[in-house]
Amino acid sequence: MPHNTERLGELLDSLVPVLVERLHETGLGEIEIERDGAIVRVRAEDLGAPGASAPAPAAPRGATPSAAAVAAPTAADDRRHPVRSTAVGFVKLAPDIHVGGKVAKGSLVATVDVLGVAVEVRADHGGIVAKLRCASGDPVEYGQELFLLESVGEAKL
Amino acid sequence: MIKRVLIANRGEIALRILRACRQLGIEAVVAYSEADRESRAVLVADEAICIGPADAKRSYLSAPAVISAALATGCDAIHPGYGFLSENAAFAEAAAAHGLTFIGPSAEVLERFESKAGVRALLAKHGLPTIPGSDGVVADEAAAAKAAAKIGYPVILKASAGGGGRGMRVIQNADDLAQLFSLCTQEAQAAFGDGSLYLEKYLVDTHHVEVQIAVDKAGTALHFGERDCSVQRRHQKLVEESPSTALTPKVREEFLARAAKAIGAAGYRNLGTLEFLVGPDGKPYFIEINCRIQVEHPVTEMVTGVDLVALQIRLAAGEAMPFTQEQVERRGHAIEFRLTAEDPVHEFRPQAGEITTFRSPSGPWVRFDSHLYAGYEVPPYYDSLLAKLIVWGNTREEAIARSRAALLEVEIGGVETTRDFFLGLLETPSFLNGTATTGMLDAIGTADILAAAPKARA
Repeated sequence: MPHNTERLGELLDSLVPVLVERLHETGLGEIEIERDGAIVRVRAEDLGAPGASAPAPAAPRGATPSAAAVAAPTAADDRRHPVRSTAVGFVKLAPDIHVGGKVAKGSLVATVDVLGVAVEVRADHGGIVAKLRCASGDPVEYGQELFLLESVGEAKL
Repeated sequence: MIKRVLIANRGEIALRILRACRQLGIEAVVAYSEADRESRAVLVADEAICIGPADAKRSYLSAPAVISAALATGCDAIHPGYGFLSENAAFAEAAAAHGLTFIGPSAEVLERFESKAGVRALLAKHGLPTIPGSDGVVADEAAAAKAAAKIGYPVILKASAGGGGRGMRVIQNADDLAQLFSLCTQEAQAAFGDGSLYLEKYLVDTHHVEVQIAVDKAGTALHFGERDCSVQRRHQKLVEESPSTALTPKVREEFLARAAKAIGAAGYRNLGTLEFLVGPDGKPYFIEINCRIQVEHPVTEMVTGVDLVALQIRLAAGEAMPFTQEQVERRGHAIEFRLTAEDPVHEFRPQAGEITTFRSPSGPWVRFDSHLYAGYEVPPYYDSLLAKLIVWGNTREEAIARSRAALLEVEIGGVETTRDFFLGLLETPSFLNGTATTGMLDAIGTADILAAAPKARA
């Protein structure tokens, strides 16, 4: 969408605090408004309860490797994007991968060391890191969730 | 000492290896592809690790993925099972370079026994009779024609790097050879990355007989009797049994002892199988070696009482052979049936899909090695083996009668299987009287065998 990025940023900066406040006041789960052709939606579970709707991590050493695959879809799923390992080995997260860190679509977010070869992991979506599911140095399996990204006004990133 | 094994395979053999590890008190981690997330070995294992997508090239056949998974899970050994990376010398070498014990022959041994043409020459030198054939790999069509003329048509042209029944073609005459030589070279190049061919006299009406051997680090080589795998379809084994009906007691003992001696002297180590063809003259001719645990190993386990997978792990760990040849007693008769997800009515077309009902057979001396359960989804990506039914009896007749009873108990719903084909085979005279040769199924035809099957309640 051909938005003016700067203007959208200003819009978000001014709108989001107001919307969050309204959300708390009303006890609503979600508020959505349209302004200048852009839709801004704020949802309670996105902001509050950590990991409320997050599926269990797929642990390489765990006895329930299928947990992540069968986790029930939730309302927040369309905004939360797991970033998954592209290889089996030892993971190293990029420096800006911490809760609250911003990630641009297509950026290098981690590497997986496979016998000395660094296999890249790139972000399929832009967003903010909502939850870490591993730490640098951890062994990870193929397809394992490394962290969760939450998409919020991508144009701002 | 091996403490923790990565099982780099799938299906029933992953489960079989897992059981051997548990029995030995060794920890095991099952490596699986995304398509096998719900496989029984993964569900049953204490630990499992996803190594890649369904495509085997990026999972079970990826040496870096498998070795990396072993390191990530703290394993000190890898069991490759059969197929996939099990006879890959470069993989065995890479595993060793990362401090992992490869449960199989070492890279050096695998390399030495890699070329089929080379192995024939090596074992001939150590006293095993081989089928008349070319002196190693044939350089070109002219050399092949010369060798074929010398040994006499028909001949069989084989890929030196081939295996598993693939990469071979029967050549009836000189015209065929002229037409097919370059095609065979191309096929071998495409399938195995090596276009080298050799040729052998093609024996018709042969029994396929193989010898299970094991060799420890010091070179102590034992045999565990033979298996007869003559019931084949397009070079794929369907039924295996031990002992073979094609050998007289006198030929058998001399032949087995000679095979064990030759393989030890040739420098082979760990578990392996020597394959022979037994012609109408009753004499076995060596054709090739398999440097891995084989699908049909339970047949030997049933007649000897030896756990071959456990033995393989112990030998890989460097242990000495735990018994002598005299202590390996062979008793009675065992038969294995490979139940596959194939439709015998339609040219054994491979099947995939959800197993809707599953009932395994049981009873005295009935063993059923399978990774199935009701609700399991048979993936379309891998081989079609669903289960191995192995039955033991004091005599061949008793084993056959017991097999019939066990097969009638088998229920696998959701996909077509070869069960009824085997029920028909157990009514087929040439199988019952032990004269079935590798050409039997071509001679009789699937339809007649299926027609002989007793009608089960659907």
